[in-house]
Amino acid sequence: MTEIQIELDSDNLSKNIGLVKYVDFTSTETFIFEGGGSINGFTLRYETYGRLNDKKNNAILICHAISGDHHCAGKYTVEDRKPGWWDNMVGPGKAIDTNLFFVICSNCLGGCQGSTGPSSVDPGTGKPYRLDFPSLTIRDIVRAQNLLIEYLNLNELYCVVGGSMGGMQVLQWAIDYPDKVKRILPLASAARQSAQAIAFNEVGRCSIVQDPGWKEGNYSLGEGPSVGLSVARMMAHITYLSDKGMEIKFGRNRRKDTKGHHLTKIEFEVEGYLRYQGQAFINRFDANTYLYFSKAIDRFDLHGEAGKLEDILSKVQARALIIGFTSDWLYTPRQNREIVTALLRCGKNATYAEVDMDLGHDSFLIDAPELYNFVRSFLND
Amino acid sequence: MVTRNLSKRQIDLEIISEWVEPKSRVLDLGCGRGVLLQNLKSEKSIYGVGVDTDPIKINGCIKRGVNAYQGEIGGILKEFSDKTFDVVICSRTVQELINPANIIFEALRVGRAVMIGFVNHGYWVNRFNMVFKGNRVINDVYPQHWYESSPENPVTINEFELFCKESQIRIQRKVYLSGDWDTKLTFLPNLLSGYALYEIAL
Repeated sequence: MTEIQIELDSDNLSKNIGLVKYVDFTSTETFIFEGGGSINGFTLRYETYGRLNDKKNNAILICHAISGDHHCAGKYTVEDRKPGWWDNMVGPGKAIDTNLFFVICSNCLGGCQGSTGPSSVDPGTGKPYRLDFPSLTIRDIVRAQNLLIEYLNLNELYCVVGGSMGGMQVLQWAIDYPDKVKRILPLASAARQSAQAIAFNEVGRCSIVQDPGWKEGNYSLGEGPSVGLSVARMMAHITYLSDKGMEIKFGRNRRKDTKGHHLTKIEFEVEGYLRYQGQAFINRFDANTYLYFSKAIDRFDLHGEAGKLEDILSKVQARALIIGFTSDWLYTPRQNREIVTALLRCGKNATYAEVDMDLGHDSFLIDAPELYNFVRSFLND
Repeated sequence: MVTRNLSKRQIDLEIISEWVEPKSRVLDLGCGRGVLLQNLKSEKSIYGVGVDTDPIKINGCIKRGVNAYQGEIGGILKEFSDKTFDVVICSRTVQELINPANIIFEALRVGRAVMIGFVNHGYWVNRFNMVFKGNRVINDVYPQHWYESSPENPVTINEFELFCKESQIRIQRKVYLSGDWDTKLTFLPNLLSGYALYEIAL
């Protein structure tokens, strides 16, 4: 009884975070990439919510997924149609409680939302990097974030949290900075990209580079392979959902004016939804960044050359909660469990919890009390 | 009823806690909300991992800071090499398993010793219920009627010990508890004991 009571109370108290602002962090030092190549400094755009305590030990870093950004909670203006991408999770009294924690969400290196990436101007040449931007890995993304954390003068992170590609960054954080990271919470994630997931990414990349608008990556800003990018997004979006979830949300529902012979007009609701997702994406995302990010994900493999996850996970010092989703067929429960069993074999403190929802890979973004309970229990234990 | 239940849980927990060596590596199959492991962690500085299928119970473990794995017992045991753990605990779990022998052998492979506790269906009250009243057991471990409970496998002290003998499993320690689970007894355990606890090894 008391448990239920407490949860109801905290739900009642949870509020939206209100108006937020982003900040740009600029490093002027040369950044050398894992795979070779370097850039002369870079910018990361980030947001923070809540307050850092005197001991500086309540900071939580949130890592975003392939199409995400630094804007994970709140709104920039009251007129904004939508709040940040994880507004249901992050806020005062919410599962990641900004009354208790100082939350940082940083845009990834290589991104296109204010951070340095292929579409940014190379100060050396005065032209955009485009494909001259060095090959990018999850480790590079994490190392750049760490420079931000150092700039913020933080010696420890209470927790690093993230789903999907964000979960890969979380794991990399625990491996590369074991003394700094106290807890990790990867959701709907994997220790390596599966063949099926690489295959889907490859279809997306082919769709982009075969669009004549791509021009070997040399498209002008505001132009670009919009058809290729939107098709890539449409296809990827299917992998984030599930058969059952789509059945519930769309079924075979039809638009009204679908009588008569036509082949290309939107007939089924699910078609309209996907086309909308594709269109919305080209307005906010850079095609070259998509190529770089999807490659970084595909190359991510913690099994290493020996094929043994324990070799690398033995470095982890953080307490881990790994959350899988029953209906996720992109980063399956089995792949999430595999991380936990390897950590346990190394004698690490790790827990596997699974949330049973119909919404596939994107379940981690959805409003779900079961998920909030796991996150809250882990952060507040 | 609640306090009675609590005290019954307590004695189970106390005996297992007594048996577990400090700083052991402990795997608790059917760990529930992680009370036993939390206790062992604070009292004996053990490294513990619990296993349960119920997300609400896993959430209880997370709240207690106890490592837990949400999933099937058979699945997780396969993930560990021989003697990964010093102790595998199987408290009030065997009766719910589909093929208990498989799990017991796997537990004996993964752990140096296995601690098993179960309700003795040979206890005279349980027999009396069945023979004279024609009712199956209802008690603290089996609180639900047949129509609301999961499938279970009633086991008796005699049957379990015969299984160990035939399978060449060594019983290293055992405790029989009386019908109220309060006191230990040794006389006619299969008839007079309500609950039995064993430490077994190969």
